[in-house]
Amino acid sequence: MIQIHRLTKTYGQVRAVDDASFSATPGRVTGFLGLNGSGKTTTLRVLLGLTRATSGAALINRRPYRALRHPLREVGAVVEQDACHPGQTGRAHLLTQAVFAGVKQSRVDALLDQVGLAEVAERRTREYSLGMRQRLAVATALLGQPSILVLDEPANGLDPEGILWLRRLVRDHARAGGTVLISSHFLTELEQLIDDVVVIARGQVRCAAPLAALTGGGLRWRVRGRDPGLLRKVFEDAGARVRSAGAILDVTGLPAEQLGDLAFFAHVPIYELAPSDPDLERIFFKLTASS
Amino acid sequence: MISVVRFEFYRMMTVRSALLSIVTVTALGLPLGFVDWQMWALLIGVTAFTQAAIGTSSHFHHRTAVLLYLGQPRRVTVLAGQTMAYAFISALIAALSGVALLTGPSAVTYPATVVSAPAMAILGVTFATLVRRAVWTLIGAVSWFVVVEGLIGKLRAPLPFTVYLDGTEGDGSKILYFFMWALCGLIVAIAATGRDITVD
Repeated sequence: MIQIHRLTKTYGQVRAVDDASFSATPGRVTGFLGLNGSGKTTTLRVLLGLTRATSGAALINRRPYRALRHPLREVGAVVEQDACHPGQTGRAHLLTQAVFAGVKQSRVDALLDQVGLAEVAERRTREYSLGMRQRLAVATALLGQPSILVLDEPANGLDPEGILWLRRLVRDHARAGGTVLISSHFLTELEQLIDDVVVIARGQVRCAAPLAALTGGGLRWRVRGRDPGLLRKVFEDAGARVRSAGAILDVTGLPAEQLGDLAFFAHVPIYELAPSDPDLERIFFKLTASS
Repeated sequence: MISVVRFEFYRMMTVRSALLSIVTVTALGLPLGFVDWQMWALLIGVTAFTQAAIGTSSHFHHRTAVLLYLGQPRRVTVLAGQTMAYAFISALIAALSGVALLTGPSAVTYPATVVSAPAMAILGVTFATLVRRAVWTLIGAVSWFVVVEGLIGKLRAPLPFTVYLDGTEGDGSKILYFFMWALCGLIVAIAATGRDITVD
């Protein structure tokens, strides 16, 4: 469980984070969205004890990071790209971290396999591509088998296959009861991954809610059929709210299956029945528009 | 703290350049001890300082400082661990490379340097903890030695590098002075450990 409570961080006159509050709960993936310089990374760094808060609290399992007894076994974090010595091999990097975390060295080989770096484990990290270094960073975060993952832009440098791999990894972690707080610029990618969304702009949290609550929960449809007037009538009679824009109906309040059945029994052919929920990108820009 | 010491040792042993510098200095020091004991003491001092300073600041340069402080969020414990690791390595290099001195007329230099080298490593760690960039740490240290201790102090004032060089001649009071300087550096570094962790 991650809790950010009335967190403020100032640098001189600049309020990088301004009275921010939100939480990330076990079993769910929380997306942390914001433009560059909006305060995302500062918030995550305060959470991880790398930066001191001016006021407020950032807690992991109800304790500040610095009070955790075995931090690497409770929290896995990716906050810096290229956080590895270029003269060390990938395996040596992970072994060094394993020594530090008090983790069995046998876990290193399992992790190298899991992140797809087993074949290049003996190469120095200076020879790694950005995607490989990102996979190594994720492996480093997973070393202590932590229940909480804090990932700052983990998809940077990953190819489509890597992004798919990361998505599966994050979803599996949440499904197993873990907590995931993830920040990313890839909004469309995040949309398929997250359960909850936190939007931050100019250091202030603009929104913290389940994604389904923002997008309408999949009950908004765009319907096009042969007879829009009749369709509108049968949908409204069944309890839906309908707005029309010419031949296209914007229908809310009923599932797609019921809309299809209603059209079928009214003998109106349907040409198009598609979700018209606002996507994450649209929500994000709407919430951050004033900044 | 032991985990930090083990972390630093393992890192030194697996980074080729770090391991190479330990082996090279030890190999260079062996014949130098026969030829010129003062040059040997200087080599050990310079190595202890630069190795500790570069090792500590490389965490910031290569962004591994984040991993270090995520693994051990208590900053003073990290400082203590790094200090112990580099103090031990510097004493080991001095002890191995200076065996030639034991048979010569300046045998007193050997124990004096083996004892002083860890304090020099402590100074290296504290300088790097404050400055965080290897290049600036080394430029600062050289400038200090040349300008303040050399030109102004004429290598007679009881300043850190001067008392190290005097101490390696076997002057116990100078060794004590040098340890006082290392302790002062450590206190300043402890006071500075609360700073936010940023990287290059």
